Formats: sequence, C-alpha cells, structure tokens
Amino acid sequence: MKKIKKQSIPGLLGKWQQEFTVFVPSKASGVSQMTVWDGKDTAFLDRNRNTAIPPKANFLPAMEKLFGFRKEAGSYKLEPADGEPPRQLLFGIHPCDARAIAIIDMVFKDAYEDRYYLSRRQNTVLVGMTCTSAYDSCFCTSLGFGPADPVDVDIMLTDIGDTFLIEEVTEKGKELLADAKGVVEATRDDEKKAAAARESASARVSRKIDTGEISKRLPLVFDDQEFWEKISAKCVSCGICTFLCPTCYCFDINDEMLRSDSGERYRNWDCCSFAVYTKMPVENPREEKWRRVRQKVYHKYLFYPELFDIIACTGCGRCIRQCPVNWDITQTLSNLPAGTPVKK
Amino acid sequence: MTKEIEQKLRDEIRDLLETGKVDHIIGYEAGSLKFSTTPLITGDKADVDRLVINPFIYNNLSVFLRDMCGKVGIVAKKCDARSIVSLIQSQQIARENVFIIGVPCGGIIDLAKVEKLTGLDRDEIDDIVWQKEKAVVTFGGNTREFPAKEVLADACLGCAPSDFPEYDIFIGESESLVAGKDLGRNKIKELEEMAPAQRWEFWKNEFSRCIRCYACRQICPACFCNRCFVEETEPLYISPVPKWQDNLFFQAIRMLHVAGRCTNCGECERACPVNIPLGALSKKMEEIVEELFEYRAGMDKDAPPLMTAYQLEECEDLIR
Repeated sequence: MKKIKKQSIPGLLGKWQQEFTVFVPSKASGVSQMTVWDGKDTAFLDRNRNTAIPPKANFLPAMEKLFGFRKEAGSYKLEPADGEPPRQLLFGIHPCDARAIAIIDMVFKDAYEDRYYLSRRQNTVLVGMTCTSAYDSCFCTSLGFGPADPVDVDIMLTDIGDTFLIEEVTEKGKELLADAKGVVEATRDDEKKAAAARESASARVSRKIDTGEISKRLPLVFDDQEFWEKISAKCVSCGICTFLCPTCYCFDINDEMLRSDSGERYRNWDCCSFAVYTKMPVENPREEKWRRVRQKVYHKYLFYPELFDIIACTGCGRCIRQCPVNWDITQTLSNLPAGTPVKK
Repeated sequence: MTKEIEQKLRDEIRDLLETGKVDHIIGYEAGSLKFSTTPLITGDKADVDRLVINPFIYNNLSVFLRDMCGKVGIVAKKCDARSIVSLIQSQQIARENVFIIGVPCGGIIDLAKVEKLTGLDRDEIDDIVWQKEKAVVTFGGNTREFPAKEVLADACLGCAPSDFPEYDIFIGESESLVAGKDLGRNKIKELEEMAPAQRWEFWKNEFSRCIRCYACRQICPACFCNRCFVEETEPLYISPVPKWQDNLFFQAIRMLHVAGRCTNCGECERACPVNIPLGALSKKMEEIVEELFEYRAGMDKDAPPLMTAYQLEECEDLIR
C-alpha cells in the first residue's frame, strides 16, 4: 500500500488536470455536487459527505443533447452532438455512488448499448474515498458492501489524519499514480490506522434493512393495496427521490425546435413518481399514487434483481434525507406484511 | 411546546375519530431522522398516540386535503390554516368537510439556518432545545445559543399568531413570536439593492441548478391545478428540458399563478433540493399583492379569491 499527505493532493490533482477534467465534491454552485476543481479548493479533503446531487449526473446528466436536426430536401439531416465527451476524473467518490454507477452500467450496456452513457463512462476514472461520515439516513452496510469498499473504483483513499492511505485497485489506477509526487510506501502503522478508520466508518452506519426478508416478502405483497395506500399517503409525487437517486436512470426525450425546420433532441431525467410519466407515448399505467410508490420499491428491490441479480439501491440515503415529507424507504421495507398475497 | 398540549391534542383527536366527527386525521408524528417530523395521515385511532407537536412540525399539511375523502381533521399552525382557508375560498375543499385543529405555534426552527450557523449537517447536531426566544444548540461538546430571529423559519418572523383565521378547536394558547415587519426580508433586501442586470444574473445562476423535480409545486397547497401548464404539450409552453431559461420561466409563472392564494408558508423553498431561495419570490409577491390590493391570502373564507374578483375602484395602472 501507498500513502500521500493531504497537502500533496492539490499537486496531484493539478497533474491529473493535464489529462482529465477533474471533479471534486463541492458546494460552490449552491448545492453539493461533483464540480470541476478550481485548482484551489481543498475543503473536501477534510470533510467529504455525500453530495446532494449524485455523481450519476457525470454520466447521465440532468439534460443532454443527443443530436441536432434540420429539414433538408424533404428529409431530415442529423448533426451529431459535440464530439467525444472529455476524459473526466471523479475525486472523492464514495463507495455507494461508485457501486451505483456499476449498477446502472448494467442497463446501459444491456441489449441496447447506450453510446452517450458508455462513452462518458469509458472516459472516466474514479478516485474513491472511504466514507467516514455517513449520514443518519445511510444504510449501505445492508446492501452487501460498506463505506470502505474499494471494488468499484480505480483508486481508493482512506483518511488517516493528515494523510490518505492509497489502494491501487485497477491497472488504470496504478497508471494514475505512476511518477506522482508525494506518493510513498505506507508503513504497517499507516495500514493499521486505515483498518481502524474503515472499521469505524462501517460502525457509523446505523440504519439497517434485511434484504433476505425483503426479497421473500415482496413477491407476496404486490396486491396488498391497503398497505401500499397507507405507506404512500404522505408522498407528494415530486421527483426528489428519483432525481437524487444514484441508481434511477429513467429519462425522457424531447425535441427543442429552434426554428420551424430545425431543432435539437435532448434527453432529460424522468421520474416514475410523476403522474404524467409515460403519458406522452401512451398512458401512465400507474395513475394512482400508491401504484407509483409501489413501483419505486419493486423496481429497486425486486425487478432489478430479477434482471441483473443486484438490488438497485446502495443505501446512500438521499431519498430519505432529501424527502420533503420524510418518506423513508427503509421503514416501508421493514414493515412489509409477511402474509399471503391479498387478492383484490 | 409542552407535553400537556401534545396530550390534549391526542385526546381531542381520539375523541373526533371515536365520535365519528371526522373520518381521517392529518397530523405530525416523529420522523425517521434527527429533528424531523413527518405527516401522519390515518383513520385509525390506534395511531393517535404517535401525534406530536414540537418546533419541527414544518410541513404544511393542507397540501393533502384535496386528495382525501370524507371529513378530515387537520392539525394546523396559523400559516397552514391560512392555506386551508385559501383552499376553501378557491372551492377546492368544502368548509364542512374539514375540521381544523389549531395548534399554538411558537415558531418553527429552520434546520437549514441551524446548519449554516453551526457549519454542520442536522444529523451531526446533538440537540436543539427551543426556549421561546432562543434555541440552545448542542454539538460536539459545545453549547451555543441563537436568538429566535436567527433560527426561526422566515415565514415565522413577523408572524402574528393571534389572527388565526379559522379553526374548529384550538389546543392551548396562542403565543407571540418575534415581531418586526422587516424580519424575514433579508434576501429581498439584498435583491432589491441589486441593479436589474445583476439581479437577472443572480436568478439565472440560481435557476441553472434547478433539476425540475417539481417538489416546489407538489408540496405547495396553492398549486392545485389538475393539469399544470408546464405539462401541456399542445401547445408546449415550457420545455421539460431543464435549461435555466425554462426553469426560470416555469417558476415565474408558477409564482404569478398562485398570487393571491400563496400564503408564503415557505414550503417551496424548504423542499427545494438545490437550495433555490424561492421564499424570496413568494414573500415579495405577497408584499406586492398586499400593496396593490390590500389583500392577504387565506384570511377570510368568505372573501372571493383575489384574482376572480374585480372592484371598480381598482385603477388601471395595475396593468403596466
């Protein structure tokens, strides 16, 4: 293992900037999100809690131009969106958000390969950071990993005071650190400190769910309308839990007409909580709110595992702490009725 | 807020449900996060003991009324009662179908303000004790006191709880809050001092963050259109693509659309996940409505809704 002093990080970021657009967690825009590093900010080295806007926005932006179009000689001429996305480096990403990206990779490279998403993804390196400051809404440790899990990043850093311990996870990660100034071999003592930091990071995550029990109960309660009506009563059908969810990937497609004969096609985040969801092509099959809330829970905890063998939730807790009515998915999951299916 | 008031509230509500005076109730229960509360919507009297009253009952529960059937008992702070009255004025709910349980509000603590003052997130704060004129905040072994005007929600500042517009029963006694008309106007003052171009830049920057989650609209009791203009596609007024121009346009129309109904309860700003200071817009609009029409939303259930009534004395220079 290696290590680097925190004071050497700006130098390292500067070096990476020559090759990548470097993003760091920052509140400079007015909300915490991955933000292009300004070359000066170092606040995130000592305090790095999960950003409000998840890093999925770096791969699936809230809006993205797909192409331009122009009417020409009875047909349409397409103009591709501006070139290859820039190479980006996300510094300080937490394991839950890195895992979330690995989860939505599955859908974007499934039967249809989404080149917009995948080209951003392929042009990205992830420098992870052990999350030592989980929120009271976090529950990652119930989802088969934890706040120090390095498997979904290229390099993993763990805060051990004025220094980060470095794990080189991938080949890409190793290359990133080649000839890096300030990177030295870690001592046994450093590794011990890092192990303790990882352990206390995990211990900090106090909210728990029982995924085994959930996967047993969910198939039984789909038709329990009374339950779903009760737990969805206070939901106001806004898009916060979806848009800020690191694994929600639904998008809508819209044409912006610039003139009568030309325009641009965009995709933008969409949300199954909205009453008008999928209303444009057909109808919303989930007109009542309880069906939409049920869909959210089922998609993450039953349908996605059926398709990709993984729960589409990483316990980042954003949907809980950002919800304006404190609708809490862990409460719903913990209160699933155990009984036999209720037929309407 | 004393425990006795909480107990009295539970007793009254149990009685309402038992005697069939109401079919459902909307109140507050403890939330799942520190210092949080959450709406409790139930028709089951077994749930009544979960009801709470404390300085964190921030939700404006009137947003749920339109979706409910039968007779509904609702726990209301004064600002929520104004929203209820406004809904009655707009014929969105019938007066006889709602039983208003007024509660004395000693002010709601704005957790976002406490976070700013302490530099911490709410879950990192050990305790917040509200002592009428000040909040005693404990964190990391330190204790600090913040005066009411620094920690109360903007909507609470300058609020006169005595003119509670409408209720069926009132639990406890009305308490006075921090008085002073200019309190809660900080953001507006800041904006008024800007040159128009500078103000435009400010809002452009703010609305660049908007992700169009529509939490501002969904949490708003005054936003009760069955179909929002933003979702019209023929013609398309506003693009669903969250460009700042469309975001700003959406919010400007939404604000104008609720003029005369908006009670400036502050829920839109509280709900906004990207911290756009929407309260400055709603508060300014409330001031303009008051100045132009000598009208405050939700104060009189028998008054016609502002924008549907016209008086001959209203001079033409209103249209500018």
